[in-house]
Amino acid sequence: MSEPLVLELEVKPLDFLAAGETATQFKETLKSLGLPPEICRRAAIVVYEAEMNIVIHGGGGVMRLQVEEDKVTIMAEDEGPGIEDLELAMQEGYSSAPDFIREMGFGAGMGLPNIKRNANELYIDTAPGKGTKLRAVIYLNKGR
Amino acid sequence: MKVKEICEKLGLNVHVQGDLDKEVHQGVVGDLLSFIMRTAPEGAVWVTIQNHVNVAAVAVLKDIPFIVLASGREPLQELIDSCRKENITLTSSKEDAFNLCGKLYELGIKD
Ligand SMILES: Nc1ncnc2c1ncn2[C@@H]1O[C@H](COP(=O)(O)OP(=O)(O)O)[C@@H](O)[C@H]1O
Ligand SMILES: [Mg+2]
Repeated sequence: MSEPLVLELEVKPLDFLAAGETATQFKETLKSLGLPPEICRRAAIVVYEAEMNIVIHGGGGVMRLQVEEDKVTIMAEDEGPGIEDLELAMQEGYSSAPDFIREMGFGAGMGLPNIKRNANELYIDTAPGKGTKLRAVIYLNKGR
Repeated sequence: MKVKEICEKLGLNVHVQGDLDKEVHQGVVGDLLSFIMRTAPEGAVWVTIQNHVNVAAVAVLKDIPFIVLASGREPLQELIDSCRKENITLTSSKEDAFNLCGKLYELGIKD
């Protein structure tokens, strides 16, 4: 694989019927490329949590999957409200999700921590009013 | 134990038949989707009271072949459709998650 494979999908805001579709498609792609199951599983968690954050908090956005010889990169971009206190947002259990969303089982405040645990590198570029750009890298030859 | 044996022994209502001959040795219980994303073992049976289409998405992503909706939840049509598409066995029971898990444990689903 010399050219990286790139897959891009739009994620709609508050579309819970479609939510999880991006993650499912990305995981299928990774599986069909023959990547190790462990990498596929970790990537699925990262994509799912990033996708849900775009759906619930980000007001819709775009997700991109990039597969290179030695790594899988997952990018999630939205132009939503951004994150005011990233350190707080990264804390396990912190969530600003409203009640109706929590009742559906979202908003456990474990999304960003789940991403962090499963990615080797995580970069988040965000500011209030500026949207959120997340980039997570999983190396094929490194463990968690 | 095979999915279909578990369905019989627990008297579950089967709404979608996935791979009924699939062997299941582990289980997970919970309603927080991120928690299930973190902890569910591959191939587990999942007991939950969440009844919406994202349950199927989480099951697909975690390679969960078997869902039990507890406490008398009747699955929504979108969830049924999604499970059918993904070949996931979808069942429901009047019993609550606590009792269902106890019975699963007695059947040897212990992890
Ligand atoms: N894309 C985003 N846009 C705006 N805020 C976000 C975004 N992603 C995460 N956040 C903020 O970070 C918090 C923690 O995120 P996360 O750990 O995924 O937990 P949860 O989604 O369950 O609330 C969210 O509640 C929200 O306040
Ligand atoms: Mg989240």
